[in-house]
Amino acid sequence: MSTPFTRKGAEVRVRLDADSRAVLAALPELLAGSDDAGGRLSYRVHPSDAEAEARYRDLVGDSLDDLRREDRSTLTRSCGDATIGLEEAEAWMRVIGEARLVLAARLGISHDGWEEEADPGQSPEMALLGYLGYLQDGLVGVLGV
Amino acid sequence: MTTVAPDRIDLPDTGETHEVDRAWQVVVWNDPVNLMSYVVWVFRKLFGHTVEEATRLMLQVHHEGRAVVSSGPLEKAELDCHRLHHHGLWATLERA
Repeated sequence: MSTPFTRKGAEVRVRLDADSRAVLAALPELLAGSDDAGGRLSYRVHPSDAEAEARYRDLVGDSLDDLRREDRSTLTRSCGDATIGLEEAEAWMRVIGEARLVLAARLGISHDGWEEEADPGQSPEMALLGYLGYLQDGLVGVLGV
Repeated sequence: MTTVAPDRIDLPDTGETHEVDRAWQVVVWNDPVNLMSYVVWVFRKLFGHTVEEATRLMLQVHHEGRAVVSSGPLEKAELDCHRLHHHGLWATLERA
């Protein structure tokens, strides 16, 4: 399997076939239909202080949802492109990470070490979880800091 | 326009410490899903850690279940938490 991402200056060259791009294009829909099982996308900042948590929620409002929506729009807009910018690549990475959290919650993954027994043939969700990990790791490799 | 600054302003010492001035710690908790390489990248990107420090913190999260990744006044700590949540990491705040 050839490397899916290579860095070229301020751009990332994407080598993915149509099927893989379709997988990426479907992620926003997967996330939109997610019930966020396990609360994996809505962590509390002050878990033992309801008053402080309410103040924080009031302060940040919908900004986290807005940022996530922006990331998903970026992915939708650019998932067919041959090259993407670094900020687009970061948005891809975050959406892929969100999707992995949701898939893991659906699969009931709650402890370290699950990868050792994971069988991609177990279910489409497990196969997708593994593949998205491969893509995310590839993006980490080319993005640097 | 110029103004004459007073030599000194005496403020009453109330003995109070304002909430926003107290130091808070940003704690990242272990989760079994996020990739180690991604977590290291996030720590470097958000906090400017060296790869060695980011890797040390990631391994601390992995082995001990949690690690303090940044600290500061409440406003900064909450912003750091917000950014970590945007990147899909499980983060909470604690008093330093």
